Amino acid sequence: MVSVINTVDTSHEDMIHDAQMDYYGTRLATCSSDRTVKIFDVRNGGQILVADLRGHEGPVWQVAWAHPMYGNILASCSYDRKVIVWKEENGSWDKMYEYTGHESSVNSVCWGPYDFGLILACGSSDGAISLLTFTGEQQWDVKKISNAHTIGCNAVSWAPAVVPGSLVDQPSGQKPNYVKRFVSGGCDNLVKLWNTIASCSQDGRVFIWTCEDPTGNTWTPKLLHKFVDVVWHVSWSITGNILAVSGGDNKVTLWKESMDGQWACISDVSKGQGAVSSITDTQQSEQ
Amino acid sequence: MEKMSRVSTALGGGGGAVSGRTMFCHLDAPANAISVCRDASQVVVAGRNIFKIYALEDEQFVEKLNLRVGRKPSLNFSCADVMWHQMEENLLATAATNGAVVTWNLGKPSRNKQDQLFTEHKRTVNKVCFHPSEVYMLLSGSQDGFMKCFDLRKKESVSTFSGQSESVRDVQFSMKEYFTFAASFENGNVQLWDIRRPDRYERMFTAHNGPVFCCDWHPDDRGWLATGGRDKMVKVWDMSTTRAKEIHCVQTIASVARVKWRPERKWHLATCSMMVDHNIYVWDVRRPFIPFATFEEHKDVTTGIAWRHQHDPHFLLSGSKDSTLYQHMFKDASRPVDKANPEGLCFGLFGDLAFAAKESLISSDANRKPYPGGDRRYPIFFFKKPDLTEQFAHVSSALSVFETGLESGRMDWFSQTARLYLLSGKPFAELCDHNAKVAKELNRPQVSTTWTMVRIMFSDPANPNLSAKLGTLPLMNSFSMKDMGACPDMGACPDMGACPADRGKEGRSDAAHLEPGTSHISNNDDNEETEGSDGQAEYMFGDAELDDDDLYSVEHDNPAEDQEYTLPQEAFPLRHEILDNPSAPEPLQQDKAESPHVSGGEAEATCLTPIESCSLISASQPLYTAHLPAGFFCPVVRDMLRYYAEQGDVQMAVSVLIVLGERIRKEIDDLTQEHWYTSYIDLLQRFELWNVSNEVIKLSTCGAITCLNQTSTTLHVNCSNCKRPMSNRGWVCDRCHQCASVCAVCHHVVKGLFVWCQGCSHGGHLEHMMHWLKSSPHCPAGCGHLCEYT
Repeated sequence: MVSVINTVDTSHEDMIHDAQMDYYGTRLATCSSDRTVKIFDVRNGGQILVADLRGHEGPVWQVAWAHPMYGNILASCSYDRKVIVWKEENGSWDKMYEYTGHESSVNSVCWGPYDFGLILACGSSDGAISLLTFTGEQQWDVKKISNAHTIGCNAVSWAPAVVPGSLVDQPSGQKPNYVKRFVSGGCDNLVKLWNTIASCSQDGRVFIWTCEDPTGNTWTPKLLHKFVDVVWHVSWSITGNILAVSGGDNKVTLWKESMDGQWACISDVSKGQGAVSSITDTQQSEQ
Repeated sequence: MEKMSRVSTALGGGGGAVSGRTMFCHLDAPANAISVCRDASQVVVAGRNIFKIYALEDEQFVEKLNLRVGRKPSLNFSCADVMWHQMEENLLATAATNGAVVTWNLGKPSRNKQDQLFTEHKRTVNKVCFHPSEVYMLLSGSQDGFMKCFDLRKKESVSTFSGQSESVRDVQFSMKEYFTFAASFENGNVQLWDIRRPDRYERMFTAHNGPVFCCDWHPDDRGWLATGGRDKMVKVWDMSTTRAKEIHCVQTIASVARVKWRPERKWHLATCSMMVDHNIYVWDVRRPFIPFATFEEHKDVTTGIAWRHQHDPHFLLSGSKDSTLYQHMFKDASRPVDKANPEGLCFGLFGDLAFAAKESLISSDANRKPYPGGDRRYPIFFFKKPDLTEQFAHVSSALSVFETGLESGRMDWFSQTARLYLLSGKPFAELCDHNAKVAKELNRPQVSTTWTMVRIMFSDPANPNLSAKLGTLPLMNSFSMKDMGACPDMGACPDMGACPADRGKEGRSDAAHLEPGTSHISNNDDNEETEGSDGQAEYMFGDAELDDDDLYSVEHDNPAEDQEYTLPQEAFPLRHEILDNPSAPEPLQQDKAESPHVSGGEAEATCLTPIESCSLISASQPLYTAHLPAGFFCPVVRDMLRYYAEQGDVQMAVSVLIVLGERIRKEIDDLTQEHWYTSYIDLLQRFELWNVSNEVIKLSTCGAITCLNQTSTTLHVNCSNCKRPMSNRGWVCDRCHQCASVCAVCHHVVKGLFVWCQGCSHGGHLEHMMHWLKSSPHCPAGCGHLCEYT
């Protein structure tokens, strides 16, 4: 059902931790342990390396594209405790802002909905979440929520600004659903359209959270599937009706809600069949 | 020798001699350096105000001895470095900040264990180092630029090595060469000396930018030297060749104060930083980007690190400025890699999926491609010793872009549909028909059917023109009704691409007759028409038509032919037939009223025809909707729009909303509408369908949406003559009293499109300028500027 269009030679020297398409689906940003962020033009089935952003001193965990109404802006966060905002100007990418206010690895960045302006939420292992707001003229306003999570924050994501006239001053930063069972974390969530959140975690479960309550206080989880292996990533399709889930078992599965509200797997991809041998599994601890 | 054998027997139990757990104790003062005695049972901590020996017990540190004695200890006790002799277990050496090198003999009966005192250095001694196999040989390196070698049996140094007034930060005897030692300097150099030749270094090379704070020989006497500097790098040099060759480089996030190879692990080394960063990192030098393990216990800068036992890789001791002494268990270390997400996944705009994953995950051993630079993941060594740690080695990721084969997955239909839909500018029925056709051509039968149905439901029966058309696709109606009724529980529509196999039985049957639905309909149309009217000649497929059953089989077999069966709608004026069936409204109404259950209508349909799905005969009747008030359908249509929106097809919701306009608008609350509009506009903009997006904005009836078009519409214009801003008085500039927008080619005032050069601000009619610039690159105004039209 799903075919490979192409494999992208990223020339990253180490593991890739995140890949994000931009708003128009024409560019792909990848970030890797090798401290670089690379941007590819993926139009017409081919891919051209557009930029190789160097500036981080540690593995780069996540990248996020800002809404294009603010220009071509990319945020990246890294193990080196820094958040860097990159901006393209006249075809060249430069550092626009560097935030060094975290005391530990910054694990997640996410831009708020454009209605709120250029606002970036960063979640760090030091347990804090920072909100960086661009106030114009190269100025950024920093608001830090200390101890948002006592043992570190793994993911931040914004709810869409769907309700017109919602409190713009208090953007509803969607709190990451940190699962305390995983002290060193590994859950990851993404919020996309239609007041539904998909979350995944290292225990192999993927939940679909729906909120019937307009105030957003009660969220009902629904177990999508219990995978046998850890689940690293979930991503919604543009219309929000297909969920892609990637797991530690080398598979990407596509899920769709069927008529009776059940989620059904409609396709799965596994590139190298049966590739995972125990030798290659580096997730084992040493001792 | 005796001691050595003791140690090796102790280790015979598989490293069981050393046991313990992660633990710490508070020191009275910040530590500067630590050192472990040979049998790993005791550790000495030295600092400006501390000099103590702790015993390492299983559960805790126990203070054994305080070497800092006397009421007012002399500066000789202020230690910059300490080293426990690895052969003589009673012998310690310290480097004092006042330049003294002191040795201590723990075997002394008195409280003061000070043994020898060498005060030959002028400034702080940064480092002391015992020879690994020569008991009485001690080396020191000082800030004053000299290294001195002491024979502990003599009162003075035996030789002095000059670093040419560069401060010495570290000295280390080689494990491999008996006479060789390495010294690192503040200017970034590393020198190799022969202990027998104090006049000149054997070799020198520049290792770092800025001071080299530390160096460490690989314990497996490989001739590898690791150096760490203020430039935040750790470099591993191969010294066995004639020229020192950099073989690995690890970049850390802060200046490197100490580096120590991990015992029994060829590629691992531990580092700590001098400032900013309090963590201890253990790196695999083959994977220089991400630490293999980190110890994050210290609250202030870590000043000393030491592996507890030289053959045990599991225990690391560290002292810190925060006045604590820690023993770290390797299994308690945090592993940044475990937290790292090895996969990235992202849906593209067009339904393509980018997926990056660790190569080891996605390719099997057999088909793994070697990547440029050779396969470093599996050193030969690995096969001999399948140790889990080695798997940390090199990891790379592969990034692939997948295309979904699912109709619903691909988003081509979205942009196609957006482009081709007509939302205004024609009579309502025509819009619907057009859109239905568009949807059908894009192979989205349900959407197509919906459009037709909408048209039928809301058409004005009084309009003969419309009702003529209405007749053309009569059967759509009944199908759509059933379909509509079933919608809420129907879930995936066929064009949404769920595999039929996954679907419940009911769903399948629904879909099965839904999909061919549109096509039978037109066919049967033809049938009826041919029966009831004269048009045999117009009837293209007359030969093929036998009866309903046959029709079905044909169509199920050849869905591809669907298109051909569709005849131009205008060709069949069926109005008389419509009027022939007065009984028709009944089932329909029932249907509607009981929606979403299909019961009544379906029951009737089944009894009318043998085949469940082909309620064709009964279905030809519902044309009588004509005398139902249009508002009657509103709730159904509202539910339908909601359904589409929920399904992710907000396009359909908005399009129907716009086309129906006033007819439906009041049924749906403003917030929902606005939400749909904004979602759709956002989608259109993502697909860069600016024109469509603008049209939608224009046609929307929501205040909040239409005002989107009114933002940033101000245009600031400067006069092309005097270059001053134009006031808002129109075409004539206030200041120079000239018409500002005169075409440089024809000298008339330009109304409409005015194109001008951004360089010289001359311009004119678009076609004039294009024409001019084809023949000449110069500005038509004669200003000499080389204008460019792109």
